[in-house]
Amino acid sequence: MTTTTTDRTPALATRPASGPATSPKHRGARTLDGGTRWLGRVLVAISIAFLLVPAIAIAIMSFANDARVSFPPREWGFDRYIAVFTSGKWGGPTLLSIEVAIWTAIGCLLIALPLVLALKRGRFPARGVLEGVAVAPLIIPISAYAVGMYAVFAQLDLLGEKPGIVLAHIVHGLPLVVIVLSTSLEQIKPDLELAAMTMGASRLRAWTGVTLRLLTPSIAAAFLFGFISSFDEAVFITFLGGPGLVTLPKYIFDSVQYSVDPAITAMATLLMLATTALMLLGTALRKEPK
Amino acid sequence: MVIPLVVVALLFIVYPLVKLTADAFTQGDGGFSNFAAVFASRAIVNSMLNTMMMSLIVTVLCLVMGGSLAWALARPQRPWVKALLWAAVLLPFWMGVVVKTYAWAVLLAKNGAINSTLLQLGVIEEPLSLLYTPFAVILGMTYTMLPYAVLAMYPTMVGFNRELLNSARILGSSHTQAMVKVWFPLVLPGFIAAAAIVFAISIGFYITPVLLGGAQVPFMATVIGDDIFAYFNYPRAAASSVILLLLALTVLLVTLRGVGAKAIKGGLGA
Repeated sequence: MTTTTTDRTPALATRPASGPATSPKHRGARTLDGGTRWLGRVLVAISIAFLLVPAIAIAIMSFANDARVSFPPREWGFDRYIAVFTSGKWGGPTLLSIEVAIWTAIGCLLIALPLVLALKRGRFPARGVLEGVAVAPLIIPISAYAVGMYAVFAQLDLLGEKPGIVLAHIVHGLPLVVIVLSTSLEQIKPDLELAAMTMGASRLRAWTGVTLRLLTPSIAAAFLFGFISSFDEAVFITFLGGPGLVTLPKYIFDSVQYSVDPAITAMATLLMLATTALMLLGTALRKEPK
Repeated sequence: MVIPLVVVALLFIVYPLVKLTADAFTQGDGGFSNFAAVFASRAIVNSMLNTMMMSLIVTVLCLVMGGSLAWALARPQRPWVKALLWAAVLLPFWMGVVVKTYAWAVLLAKNGAINSTLLQLGVIEEPLSLLYTPFAVILGMTYTMLPYAVLAMYPTMVGFNRELLNSARILGSSHTQAMVKVWFPLVLPGFIAAAAIVFAISIGFYITPVLLGGAQVPFMATVIGDDIFAYFNYPRAAASSVILLLLALTVLLVTLRGVGAKAIKGGLGA
């Protein structure tokens, strides 16, 4: 009989002596249970390794000075990082990505904020449809959507134009921003607005002074999420950006496709750190209003 | 002033899909001719079957690994285990898809991390061809979709009342029986919603098949991209896109009927 002490449910320990625990039937069930538990643990361990190893490997390889990508690095150093900052190739795409991401985040907020306030505080028909439409781009196969956008942008002369990309990225980022704002707004009780209004505040004053103020940390978080969704986006830019607009993901995509620049390991590590930091900040902001 | 802006924005979300569908039926020779052209092309039909097959494999992998991760996250754990679990799920979730795919390309390349490690350990004599295989695409796509699957199943797993397992045990069932007969049926809607979300997103993948599969592993998206940018055959690309769209919609609607909107909404975090 195997004894696994961790993860044992209390039921087993306090189980009444309903039958002899050593009967063959029970022994079989015990062995099976041990197997099930073991399988579960192995699955979780494999999954964790699967999710963490690539990120860690990239970070390790970014600190190599070898001429080619190699693992483990023969010579350690910061050459790749120096290359990123001195080669002059990365500045343009980075600045473009940041610019597009800022406009996208602003655009997402301008649409999502009134939408979410209307959805959660207003009373009008077809609210579900509106919310569904705003969240839909999350589950529409992105390449099919990109083709549709391509046709519309060709019509509007927006292909290869910065405002076009911002527009596409707003659509791409909107679901996340709407979800973040609406889950946060759900936690702010409408009673607070009503209380403000019974004390003489106008509806507008109650919204801006109470609800929006309580929502501010979540708005900041939503801004960050909108920013990151644009900053990481690679499919729309490939279909709609033309040859002229090269954002950071597009630049990496193109260079990996045609050659392997070892400096990308450093850039990828920097990007991982940057997005993780921003996401942690966003998550921390959202935890504020309780 | 604000509300009209919102309405315009929402119309702008829907319009590309409407135009795409209209174009698929009216551009070129019109009618169903573009769809006929899609099915007449061996390359496109192959890529379609390939896309569905690979997405299905990715979905199964995501359910198995994601289910165990989500269940592990939903149970009480030692703090460091919980922190490790969340880090494992969220780190790839936050990385951009290009960075994720690049990481796998570097791992799987001829002189990449996996081959050099195996060579140095003496497990293999010659480097393995791992990159530009279906295997590489499946790894890369699963890596991208696994966090989505975990987050989609997490609410169901947290909502599962663990006392039910104890009750089953007290009534004499084994741990395995309790998991199969009590736990699994109750968390099944979470699994189904996650499967629908993962599959619908997977069939649209573009970056990962191009970088990890190359020409060896044609995907719907790559074929569509080639139609537009290499063959300038937009009508056929539109028809292929509509098929992709219909496939995703069918899967999502069937799921919606099966497990209800709540499960899918919960899966999306909405």
